[in-house]
Amino acid sequence: MLQVIGHVAVKEIRQILRDRRSLALVLVMPIILTFLFGKAMETGELKQIPSVILNLDRSPESNVIATAFSTFDEVWIQGEVPSREEAQEMLAQGKIKAAIIIPRGFMKRIEAGEEAQIELLLDGTDNNSAPIVEGVAQQVIRRYNAEKAVRGLWARGLRPDRGQKLIQPVFVQTEIRYNPGLRYLGYVMPGVIGLTLTLLTVMLMAVSLTRERERGTLDQLMVTPIRRSELILGKLLPYFGLSLLNVLTILFVADRWFNVPVSERLTLLLVFCALFVLTSLATGLLISAVSRSQFQAIQIAVFYILPVFMLSGAYAPIEAIPETIRPISNLFPLMYFCRAVRAVTLRGAGFDLVWKDLVILTGFFLLFLYWAVVSFRKRLA
Amino acid sequence: MVDGVSLAIETTNLTRRFGALTAVVGLNLAVPAGSIFGFLGPNGAGKTTTIRMLCGLLLPSEGRATVAGFDVGTDAERIKQRVGYMPQRFSLYGDLTVEENLDFFAGVYRLGGRERRERVARTLGRVDLMARRRDLADHLSGGLKQRLALGCALVHAPQILFLDEPTAGADPPSRQRIWDILYETSAEGKTILVTTHYIEEAERCQTIGFMHRGRLIATGSPEACRAGMGEELLEVEATPQMGAAEAARTVPGVSGVTIYGHTLRIFAKRAAALAPALSETLAARGITVRGIRPVAPTLEDVFMTLTRDVPEAERTG
Repeated sequence: MLQVIGHVAVKEIRQILRDRRSLALVLVMPIILTFLFGKAMETGELKQIPSVILNLDRSPESNVIATAFSTFDEVWIQGEVPSREEAQEMLAQGKIKAAIIIPRGFMKRIEAGEEAQIELLLDGTDNNSAPIVEGVAQQVIRRYNAEKAVRGLWARGLRPDRGQKLIQPVFVQTEIRYNPGLRYLGYVMPGVIGLTLTLLTVMLMAVSLTRERERGTLDQLMVTPIRRSELILGKLLPYFGLSLLNVLTILFVADRWFNVPVSERLTLLLVFCALFVLTSLATGLLISAVSRSQFQAIQIAVFYILPVFMLSGAYAPIEAIPETIRPISNLFPLMYFCRAVRAVTLRGAGFDLVWKDLVILTGFFLLFLYWAVVSFRKRLA
Repeated sequence: MVDGVSLAIETTNLTRRFGALTAVVGLNLAVPAGSIFGFLGPNGAGKTTTIRMLCGLLLPSEGRATVAGFDVGTDAERIKQRVGYMPQRFSLYGDLTVEENLDFFAGVYRLGGRERRERVARTLGRVDLMARRRDLADHLSGGLKQRLALGCALVHAPQILFLDEPTAGADPPSRQRIWDILYETSAEGKTILVTTHYIEEAERCQTIGFMHRGRLIATGSPEACRAGMGEELLEVEATPQMGAAEAARTVPGVSGVTIYGHTLRIFAKRAAALAPALSETLAARGITVRGIRPVAPTLEDVFMTLTRDVPEAERTG
């Protein structure tokens, strides 16, 4: 048994090493993908939303408001526009996502003790930017109002610090544990690693048996007394080694380029990566075992990988997925991988906190492997 | 056992259907151990399907077959240990060298260590590829690829060898080399079942079986097959040839006419009695007859008579 597995593995290694171009692709692709996905996600934190100000009041008070907006990182005030029409035109052309309008008579109304307003024109097509600009505006106004009130109380003889407490008696004291910079990249990097590994391993393995089927070499193999498990494990082993090499390069890129701390709990992280790679390889083998051709195998692989990308919580929290389809997420090993690796890299969780995910991933691996072995037929259809 | 000879292959009513098509119909075959059995028939006659059933690659739809004493339906894996198979299409690893291919298949048959190295070396010698052992299989010519494939089917020293068109497309010297290897293997007591559609290769077999449209329509030694044709043969040289063939078909008693080179081959129950009527008809049509003589039938002639009036392969649905 072991001897034949080793024998198949040696044959696979010879073939892998002989196909230099594919080997180069397999070794370089994960680095490029990690880099690309990581780069894309780095700017996924929304900042610098292009905006303009239309200051129709041109009063000291309206200038205070206009200046206050430019102190926020989230918006990028590109300048002032002379008219409402111009602001609307820029919004329509997509040059800006928001226009902040301070209407004529703003200061007069405040001084007369009437209710004053500022207006926001927002581009709703980008449902991420709009609420952020709105939030910024709320903050600007809240600060402005508080300052106004304190100044008013001061004028009536109340000390500013007392006035401040009167106006805002309650404060929120926030302490962020883990991922202190609230970096989205820190959150998403386990997903990026998992996706890259999925893409690589599932595709590699999905074509492994079907390639032999198409070339006819499987015909020759099927008349030998080789056992299905020997063939499948023999194919799995070399690709497991290759994928471990990829794990190391991916983690290196994550650590050096994106400052995702992988050095703490490195052993546990490697264990998870290795186990996840095994699970994905087994998934690919299962696809290969049930497919008639390489083309079909690639088709099935794509149909598998797309839902995994969308539903396993690699980019966004699993809680963002509607409850009706959330149970599907539980079927994807990537979900458990992301959950556990986030715990390990961001919270410094140890074995005691993530052992359940380790067990689940092992279960997936054994299930898929067994399934692949029994689905593979040593007879022709 | 039949007449005290043990059978390497025995089938009873072996049948295989693919949907509406019946590829093999009620095949009864008995191949004695140690013989060379030639499977003849045109493409699509069911030879490959039969071999695949005998190797345990395909399950029979009906009937049964035993190979080396084991049932193909229930003991396929034990059969696989004892047979070698060379498929029609080149099915080895083109990106491995000659030696690596042989070594891989030897290992898959659970040969290890020194025994494996010895077997690989001996097989390299037998198929005469020692000098090319470090070349990639993809870089070999067609004839050498066939020899390598034969080597891979032989490397574990199987009792029974199934060869599906081992010489297809090969030039005469390459074919001779392959047949030399087959004779050597047969001399060691191995049983060989070989398919071909080269009729002249059938003469090299001890027993032949004609397959046509899924049925085994004749079986026996090449001599017996020729003797048992049931028809005689006239060779006619005449010009114009096409006109002569057309005219010959109208003569009562003629059961078939084939054109062979610059001669016509006329099939009839009693050829000698037919000659006068034949030359008369041809002369009446202004055809110049340069010779009419009775000849001994070849296996090809046998095959032509056999395939003339066999029912279509059974189609259902």
